[in-house]
Amino acid sequence: MATNEQTVDTALYEREKGTYHKILIGLLILTAITFVQPHLFLAHATFEAQLLIGFAKAWLIVAYYMHLKSEKPVIGIMVAFALMLVLFFFVTTIIDVHHFQFTDESYITNGTLK
Amino acid sequence: MAHEYVPEVAIDREGNEHLVQGWQDDYFGGKMGFWLFMFTEVMMFSAMFLTLSYYYTLHPQDYTEASAHLNRLLGGFNTVILLISAWTMGLGLLKMRSGDVSGAKKFILATMFIAALFLVVKGFEWHEEYEHGIFLGHGHLIEEGYPLGKKLFYGMYFTMTGLHGFHVLIGIGLMIWLLKRINAGKVTPEHHILHFNIALYWDLVHLIWVFVFPYFYMIGAAHGH
Repeated sequence: MATNEQTVDTALYEREKGTYHKILIGLLILTAITFVQPHLFLAHATFEAQLLIGFAKAWLIVAYYMHLKSEKPVIGIMVAFALMLVLFFFVTTIIDVHHFQFTDESYITNGTLK
Repeated sequence: MAHEYVPEVAIDREGNEHLVQGWQDDYFGGKMGFWLFMFTEVMMFSAMFLTLSYYYTLHPQDYTEASAHLNRLLGGFNTVILLISAWTMGLGLLKMRSGDVSGAKKFILATMFIAALFLVVKGFEWHEEYEHGIFLGHGHLIEEGYPLGKKLFYGMYFTMTGLHGFHVLIGIGLMIWLLKRINAGKVTPEHHILHFNIALYWDLVHLIWVFVFPYFYMIGAAHGH
C-alpha cells in the first residue's frame, strides 16, 4: 500500500510553507478585527458580527490548516453532512424553544430567580 | 524495524499462495477515522454553544454585563498564542513530510510550550475570577438574588473553557506520546499518520476556541471596563 504518498519534495514544501504563513497572517488580521469590532462597527449587533468573523476564521483553519481543500472529496462530503446535521439540530431546537409550552413551569424561563 | 509490514499469505487447497489484503498502513483510512472522531467533538461543543445561545436570548442584558467583566487582555493573549501554536504544529507536520525529523520535533516542542502557556494564563484568569467571588459553587454564583442570567453565563463559561482546557491538556499528552513515537522510529516521514492526526486534533482545539472567545469575551466588549 502506498504509505509515502503524502511526503513532499522541496518545491512543494516551500509552497505549502508559504500557504501556512499567509493563512497565519489572515487569521491574525481577523483576530485583530475581532478585538476592534465592538468599538468600531456593528456595535449594536456584536454577537452576529463576531459569529461572522468566527466563521471566516473557521473556514481558513478547516480549508488550509486541516487540509480539507486538498483532501479527497469524500472527506469534504462527510464534513458537509456533519455540519448539515448540526444545523438541523440547531434549527429544530430554535423552533422548539420558540414554542416552549412550559415557560411558566421552568425556573430558567419563568423569571422567579431574577 | 519500525512499521515493517509482514504480509499475511493464505494458501489454497492446490498449494497456491495468495496475499491477504492488510490495512496496517492505510493512510487514508486512518485519516478518515480521525475525521469521524472529530465530528463527535463538534457535536458535543455545538450542543453547548446552542445552550449558550439560548440562555443569551433569555438574558441578553445579564450576559452582556457578565461578559464585560471577563479579562479580555488575557483571553485575547490566549487567542493569539493558540493561533500561533496551530501554525507551529502545521509547520512541524510539513517538516516531517519533507523528511526533516529533527525540525519537526522542534516545532512539536514549541507547540507544547505554547499549549502549556495557554493553560498557565487560563489558570491566572480563573484565579482572578475566584478572587472576585466568581467560581462554580462559590461566592456570587451561590448567592440568592444574584441575577440568574449571570449565573448561567458563568456556569457555561467555566464548563466550556474548562472542557476546552481539558482538551488542551490531552493535546499536550498526545504531543508527548508523538515525540516518544518519533524517537522510537515508529513515526517517520514515510509513516506519519499519527503526526497528521494529532495536528488535526490540535487544529480542532484551536477551532473550538475561535468560537469560545467571541461568545464569552466579546459580546460585552462594548460595555467593558
